[in-house]
Amino acid sequence: MKRSIPALTAGALVLALAACSGGGGDDDPTDAGGGADDGGYEGQTLTVWIMEGTNPDATGYFDGVAQEFTARTGAELDVQFQPWDGAHDKFVTSIAGGTGPDVAEVGTTWTAEFAELGVLADLTASIEGAGLDGDLVEGLAEAGTYDGALYGMPWYAGVRSIIYNKDLFEAAGIAGPPTNWEELTAAVEALKASDPEVIPFPIPGDSQYSLYPFVWGAGGEIATESDGTWTAALDSPEAIEGLEYYTGLALEHGSSTAAADTWNEADALAAFEQGNVGMIIAGNWTVGRIAQDAPDLMESIGAFPIPSRDGGPAGSFLGGSHLGVWSDSDQQDLAWEFVELMSTGQAAADWSEQTGYFPGQASALAEIAADEDPLVAPFAQQMLEAGRSVPLTPAFGQIQGAKTVEAMVQNVLTGRMSVEDAAAEAVAAMNETFSAGS
Amino acid sequence: MSSTSTARVAPIVPRGPAPDAHRRRATRRRAARPWLLLAPTLVVLAVLLLWPLARVVNLSFQDYGLRELVSGESNYVGWANYAEILGDSYLWTVVLPNTVGFAVCCVVLTVVLGTLVALFLNILGTFWKTVCSTAIMVAWAVPAVTGTYVWIWLFDPLNGLVASALAAIGVIEPGTVNWYTDRLGFYAIATLNVVHHGFPFVAVTVLAGLLTVPKELYEAATMDGAGAWRRFWRITAPMLKPVFAVVTILSTIWDFKVFAQIYLMPGGNGGNAEVFNLGVWSYIQSFAQGKYGLGSAIAVLLTGLLLVITVVYMRTLFKEEDL
Repeated sequence: MKRSIPALTAGALVLALAACSGGGGDDDPTDAGGGADDGGYEGQTLTVWIMEGTNPDATGYFDGVAQEFTARTGAELDVQFQPWDGAHDKFVTSIAGGTGPDVAEVGTTWTAEFAELGVLADLTASIEGAGLDGDLVEGLAEAGTYDGALYGMPWYAGVRSIIYNKDLFEAAGIAGPPTNWEELTAAVEALKASDPEVIPFPIPGDSQYSLYPFVWGAGGEIATESDGTWTAALDSPEAIEGLEYYTGLALEHGSSTAAADTWNEADALAAFEQGNVGMIIAGNWTVGRIAQDAPDLMESIGAFPIPSRDGGPAGSFLGGSHLGVWSDSDQQDLAWEFVELMSTGQAAADWSEQTGYFPGQASALAEIAADEDPLVAPFAQQMLEAGRSVPLTPAFGQIQGAKTVEAMVQNVLTGRMSVEDAAAEAVAAMNETFSAGS
Repeated sequence: MSSTSTARVAPIVPRGPAPDAHRRRATRRRAARPWLLLAPTLVVLAVLLLWPLARVVNLSFQDYGLRELVSGESNYVGWANYAEILGDSYLWTVVLPNTVGFAVCCVVLTVVLGTLVALFLNILGTFWKTVCSTAIMVAWAVPAVTGTYVWIWLFDPLNGLVASALAAIGVIEPGTVNWYTDRLGFYAIATLNVVHHGFPFVAVTVLAGLLTVPKELYEAATMDGAGAWRRFWRITAPMLKPVFAVVTILSTIWDFKVFAQIYLMPGGNGGNAEVFNLGVWSYIQSFAQGKYGLGSAIAVLLTGLLLVITVVYMRTLFKEEDL
């Protein structure tokens, strides 16, 4: 255990520093916002970790934010970009080594896990103090809550719907976007019949979030909670029906290709961009990506909500990012200044416009949803009417790490297992993780 | 100080009053000298190798998760991690066969191909030898990650070169076959990747060995009527035994602990549990699942396995007196 001594020393040092600055009265989270407009943080530097790749022009955006931040507080901003790949590992190692930032972008599914570990600071008082608590997007606020307190400030959100190729739909004589499963199946078969070269609706084996809308859309659940204990529910009749329908599209209706058995969402998107894929499940943020990669295709793409079995939008994972303040940062107030600057007003609006993600403030989201943009409105509808979150327990992070759900889908797609067997295996693995505790 | 005093002591030994004592002290100093000179290296090795190793072994006896990582507390559970791994049929039916089978194929293919290439390079003139060596060195210089992506693209089931070529001659229809979902197909591609990346090292090392074999031996053997096959087994192989030992052992170690080449392939990062090897399994348990203790136990198992293989191999290859 000698290795933890430097970490402990660093931690103690940070605590000591925090205690010192606390003497000045600016370490009290409840007095956040007090020094907002008169600066008073000259000479300080706030270190921030932001995920790479969300904003195509992140450097330009954060140059602007840094200027605004310095104008407001007098402090400097040091933004460090982190790749999503391996970000969780990096967070964990920095936690162990005491080398974390002051503020970090935290994926919504990690917030509860880090909050439980005591890595993130409780932001409830700051958020209430700034009067923001009534205006947060519900699904994001829910995911940022641990034990009744908010540890993640909703920053931006995204949701998956279906993006389709209007030219191919027209050529196949499909009247309009499918609104239930029956129409979806009919659309797949029409696309297949019109041109055998077309992949109507690839079923990517390495994507859990493409499956969930069909589980939820049939009335199933991933897992259910009672008295704090989670139980996997992917073997319920409803979930089985969803899984059967979803994989059946590939296995019985030829909607997919064997190549897709190992695709993730990025692979499916890349195939869609080549122009002979009918429709894919894709996030609202991918629209900007298509505009960049395949500008010629933009003319012919449309979007519609993923339908549930009997019509209406199916539940779809509402993902995104929180801004979290690290509990061992000695600049808690300054950190909150930054979080507030980023998640409200012009900075938030610019971010949302540049990235294609939805803002974390409910009022701002409602404004966007009222917009009639055909590549925005279906996503907004799916998010507002059917945005869902995955089980909010750190154990689910482990299940995602183990790719249990993806393995289940792949086992069915490749014919290794029946739907029932694959679901039973996944449920057993999930329950083992749930019962082991986090 | 030790070096000057020993230098002065040595000549006066025979004339001294107590030669034995002097000699003993001198011997001790002489014995200590190499260790003194080695000390910096040993310290670096201890920091870089021994400490992490000890740490992994220590972790393997703990139920160590994120919580322990953050708090820095220990949580010893004795042999529980080892019991869990060794009692898991998954180890015996999937992970171990994958690791061992893959490594054996890769080592054999790498050493055979590398040796053949070395023999080929050896008969070339200086110019072509340089050209060909450079060409194969490129394969070695390509980072494992880049090389792996190239192979993944080559075997892409929909648009890859191999799928297109097979489709052109009418063997398959593109998109209907996915090699990555099949355990054998997956490892066949991984083997190509690893052998392609590993053979240049063998070729260059064996070539260096070949250059030290006296030409007269071959000439004499040819005079006696020995063919190329016989010359190789009677002259080259025995002369280069130490070289082969080194490349085989190194290849074995490398191919047993292959990680990136498997992890990066479709399905290798968790989606397809049929294709895990010990390295990937250890990584998934540690970092994806936060079970650092269990992951460490798997890593210790891998290390132990390699140690046993190396020792057994050295023993059978060299008789006691050779070592």
